[in-house]
This record gives sequence, structure tokens and C-alpha cells, in this order.
Amino acid sequence: MKNKTNQIIIIYILISLFLAIVCHKLLQKFTYNTSYQNYNFVKDLLFIIFTGIAYKLILSKNDNQNASIVEKLKKTNEEIKESNEKYDIVAKATSDTIWDWKIQEDNFNWNKGIEVIFGYTQEEVGSSSTWWFEKIHPEDSIKMSIKLYSFIEQKTENWQDQYRFKCANGSYKYVLDKGFLLKDEEGKAIRMIGAIQDITKQKEEEQRLKLLETVITQSKDSIIITEPDFKNSEIPKIIYVNPAFSVMSGYPIDEIIGKTPNIFKGPNSDKEEYRKLIDALKKKQECLIETISYKKNKEEYWVRFSMIPIYDTENELSHWISIQRDVSEEKKQEKEKEQLIRELTQNNKDLKQFSYITSHNLRAPLSNLTGLLNLIEDIPIENQELKEIINGFSKSTHLLNDTVNDLVKVIIIKDNPSIQKEAVLLKEIFENVFNQLSFQIELYKPIIKLNFEKVSVLNTNKAYIESIMLNLLTNAIKYKSENRQLKITINASEVDDIVYLTFQDNGIGIDLERNRDKVFGLYQRFHNYPDSKGLGLYLVKSQVETMGGTISIESEVNKGTSFTLTFKNKQ
Amino acid sequence: MLDQILCIDDDPITLMLCEKVIIKASFSNEIITAENGEEALHYFNTLKYTNTENQLKRHPQLIFLDLNMPIMGGWEFLDHFKSEAFSEFKDIKIIILSSTVDPEDREKSKAYPMVIDFLSKPITLTMLEYLKNKI
Repeated sequence: MKNKTNQIIIIYILISLFLAIVCHKLLQKFTYNTSYQNYNFVKDLLFIIFTGIAYKLILSKNDNQNASIVEKLKKTNEEIKESNEKYDIVAKATSDTIWDWKIQEDNFNWNKGIEVIFGYTQEEVGSSSTWWFEKIHPEDSIKMSIKLYSFIEQKTENWQDQYRFKCANGSYKYVLDKGFLLKDEEGKAIRMIGAIQDITKQKEEEQRLKLLETVITQSKDSIIITEPDFKNSEIPKIIYVNPAFSVMSGYPIDEIIGKTPNIFKGPNSDKEEYRKLIDALKKKQECLIETISYKKNKEEYWVRFSMIPIYDTENELSHWISIQRDVSEEKKQEKEKEQLIRELTQNNKDLKQFSYITSHNLRAPLSNLTGLLNLIEDIPIENQELKEIINGFSKSTHLLNDTVNDLVKVIIIKDNPSIQKEAVLLKEIFENVFNQLSFQIELYKPIIKLNFEKVSVLNTNKAYIESIMLNLLTNAIKYKSENRQLKITINASEVDDIVYLTFQDNGIGIDLERNRDKVFGLYQRFHNYPDSKGLGLYLVKSQVETMGGTISIESEVNKGTSFTLTFKNKQ
Repeated sequence: MLDQILCIDDDPITLMLCEKVIIKASFSNEIITAENGEEALHYFNTLKYTNTENQLKRHPQLIFLDLNMPIMGGWEFLDHFKSEAFSEFKDIKIIILSSTVDPEDREKSKAYPMVIDFLSKPITLTMLEYLKNKI
């Protein structure tokens, strides 16, 4: 630099000298006043030398100034370079996605994060802010842009926001975006740099916790959390109660924190239950008690409450959780139910006793009548009228006797809810029944088809099942059609431990449209047969149901009737 | 044919029936009756003390016993009768003849070993035929 200054000065002096000499020589040639000419030449030389020196001074001063400016620029450049390197390193090292937005040019740059975290390829990533805005979840974008522009216009100090950012695969990630503004000399925002953090996991966890929290806050059951320490037989101090507890107990939340649940105890509380609780607390065991508790206004209520020990990761007892429920209504109903059951049981017992005494007192004179009539049978009676009278008397007595006996049967079946059951061979049951009906079978020669291959053994009460089958068979014979030979089909099958017995005949049938409700009723008769009492099917149904079974009927007039009986074939 | 029979029942018609049917069936030579348990016990007490020592005591071989009777019913009679005081009559067989329909009564009767049967009134010739075979 210095050389250049010197060069310029030397060139300047040489050219000036050359011009001075040329001028001097020309003057010498064309003028004649030589002394004046010499004087002028010397003056020029001196002028040249002075100006040369002056130039030299000015230029060298400028030179110095320039050198210091260059030095400064160099330093700044280096600083920028270093800062850029740092930025690059940080951008690479951080898990955040960093963006750089030149606001005026709308030039938008992303670091690697946009590829790594959100799965976009380099070509997919747009270079303007529009691309950024497009990727923000529509539900979040308006709120987000209002906040962002208010920051850019410098109405707000800081900017950070949470929103959902779309990934390459179309799913959304929750992100936390923090940004800073770079301003020009006038303070105008020209550039913004931001860092996007993926907070999907935290957000999901937060939502999960919020959801779980609603269980406690919205629960209708009262929930209390207490400290772990158990001292002086006092239930540990409360550190949390949910709103339901306040509602139940009448204590506001802030009044109850720090207190021991012992304050709910009162004169009518169950001491035995409290002892159970204290015992469990000592042993750090879960427990469940029911006791009368007291509200803030000293009103009593029944509470069922559990204490559950909670252990931390070091397996140390950290809290107790208590879940409580007001069971006053339940208790009241339970009491009423018990009372009702007691009354009903007593009533039933009285009624049963009454029916036994009544039938006994009816049967006693009746059996005498029967006995007396039996005696008369052997005495010859000459008087025709007396004979007729005694005959009528005998018939009525026997009818009354049958009725009383039938009613007694009903009473006994109804009084026997848990009868003895045993494994009985179906074949055996029918052999016994057929033996009892051998006379009728001989007489009418019905075709009887038995199909017991699928089920051979029935777990049942032998006397009842025989009585049932006897009744059904007797009915089938009694109500057979006069126009065709009687055909009876009996099937047995078993599905899922339930035995189905079907009993089908081709008799005269029952008009079910008119009588369905009455078929199994007591003293319901559907045909005007002399020996029909309307008791058989009632007894059958009673016996089936006493054994825990069901019976149903299908019938068509003049086609036949079929009964389906079901029994559970297990104890 | 039995020698002696005791019928315990508060109903005179029942007693009359018993007598007539038993005679008809030639079931027993003699029929004694008692109106209730107490009267029957009294009868056995008298027997106990009036019988001469060397003579074989003549006593009923079979009792027909009703359950529902005033003063002393059938169950109470049985409880006394099975006690030590009446041990010399322990081979007497008892048949409960009642109008009861309560199945519990039948169950209860099984607890008394001298009760050999539980039959429903009225007494009949067929019943006595059946008993002849049983005794």
C-alpha cells in the first residue's frame, strides 16, 4: 500500500518535472528574458516538490485509515464464519427441527429435522412459509397464525406455541415451536428462526393422565388419598379428597386436607369394623369395612370403604387410597328385605301348618266315613231305597276323599322345594309306569314308540318322574281318538346338560287358542269326561317345576298333543 | 291271630271302626282302647304293678296309635313309652294310624324303633291282611 502511495507521488513529481522542463525549454526558445525564465523554472520546481510532499502526507494518512477498516472487516468476517459453524453444529446436534425464515423474501429453510422427525424428503420440503402453514392442523392454524403475526409485528414479547404438525405419512405430531426475531437497524423484523420440538409423547401422556384423572374427579364414589404414616392408632392424614367425597361427607375439600379420617367416627360407628381397619393399617394390608359414619353436620350414614396400600418403586409404602361409598340406601333396603323375608317365611310356615291341620281335620272324619262305608258293604240291605241312599252316600264320600287326597298331594309337592334326586334309568321308569297301566294297555293296545338311545340316565326324583309319566300316559289313553289307533311317541335327547323329553300322542287334543293359559291350572277341565278332575296336568307341572324343570304343550284339536319337558341333568 | 291289641285314639268312631274291622278280620282276640296317651300309660302302669311275679304278664302285642289327641298326643306317649320305666314292654310293636298328611311326621316316626309302620286312616281289612304278613 505504502509503495503504491510513493509510486503515485513519484509519478506525479516526474510528470510535473517533465512538464516544467518542457515549458522552460519552450520559453527559452521563444522568449528572450532569460533571467525571468530561470526564476520561473525554479519556482515551478519548488511548487512541484511542495505539492509532492503535501500529497505524500495526505495519502499516507488515508492509507492508515483504510488499513484499520480492512482489519475490522476481516475480524467481523471471521466472527460470522465462526457463528455460522456453531449454528450448523447445533442444528445438526439438536433433536429439534430448526427453521429459518427470511420474512421479506419469504424464504424458508429447514434443517435435517424435517426429514428425520417428520419424514419428508428434501424434494418435498417447500421453500416458503406457505408450506409450513399448510402442514399445521386446520384446527390449530388460525390460533397459531394470530399469535405468530402478533409476534412478528412485535406486539408480543415472546413466541412459543403448541400445535399439530402434519407428517409425511399424513399423521399429526404434537409440537412445541419456539421462535426468535432478527431485526434490521430500523427495528423491523426481517428474519425469524424457530425450533420445533416433538412433544407427541408428552401430549399423549398428558391426555392419558387427564383421562385417568377424570375417573377420580368424576367418580360418584368418594376417593381419599392419605399419607402412609400410621401413628397412635390414628388413620393416616388425608392429602386428597375428590369432589364426590365432599358431597358425601359435607366437608369442603380445604377443610378436610391434613385431618385424619378418625373424625368420621361417632358413637354409633361399628367399633369391631374400626378395629379391623386399624389392624389392616398396622399390617399394611388392604381391607374393606362397613360402618356408620358421620357427616360434617353429624348426620349418620352407612359407608362401605376400602383402604388400599400404595407402594412406590422402592417398594416403600407411599400412600393409602380409600374408596368409599354411601350405602345407607342399600342398608335400608337390605333391612327391609330381611324383614320381608322373615315375615314371608313365617307366613309360609303358618300357611303350611294351617293346610296340614285343615287337611288332617278334614281327613279324620272322612276316613271314619270311608271305614264305616267299607263295613256297610258287607251287610246285606233289603230295603231298596236305603240301598240307593247308601250308594249315593258312598259315592259322594269317595269323591270327597279323592279330592282331599289330591289336594294333600299338591300341598306335599309344593312343600318340597329341595327333593332328593338320583340317577334313574329312563327305561326303568317306563317299565314301572307300563306295569301300572298294564290293564289299559292290554285293553286299547296303543302303539308306543320309545326313543331313549341318546339319553339313558336321568338325574331326577324317581317317584315324581314316575308320577309325571303315569299322568301323561293316562291322559293319552283317556283322551285318545275313537277314530284311530292310539299312537304314543316318547323321545329323549340331551343338549348342554339339558334333557329334553317329548311326549306325543295322536289323541283328541286341546283347543289351545282358547285354553292355553289354563292347561296347567288347578281344576281345569277341557273335556266332559266322568273321571276327569282337572288335576293331572296341574300335578305334572308342579312336580316338573319342583325338580327344576319346565313343561310346555303343543296341541291341535283332533290331531294330537305333544308335551316337551326339560330337566337339568346335573346336580 | 294276636291275643291282645291296644287302640289309642280320641275319636270314638275310629275306635268303634277299629274294633269292628279287627273282629271281622280275626286279627286279635281282645281289643283294649284308650282315649289318649295318658290313659294308655296309665293302663301300662296298672299292668306293671298288678301282675303277679311268677305269671307271664299278659299285655297287648300291638298298639294302633293316633297322633293328634287331647291331654297327651301320640309323640308324647312314644317318648314316655320308650323310657326305662316301660322297658318290660319294649317288645310291643306300634303302628301309627293317623290322618296326618305332613311328611315330617312320617320322618319323625323313624326315630322310634318300636314304630314298625306309619299308616293312613281308615283301618281296612286289606291293611290288616298286610300287617298279618308283616308281624
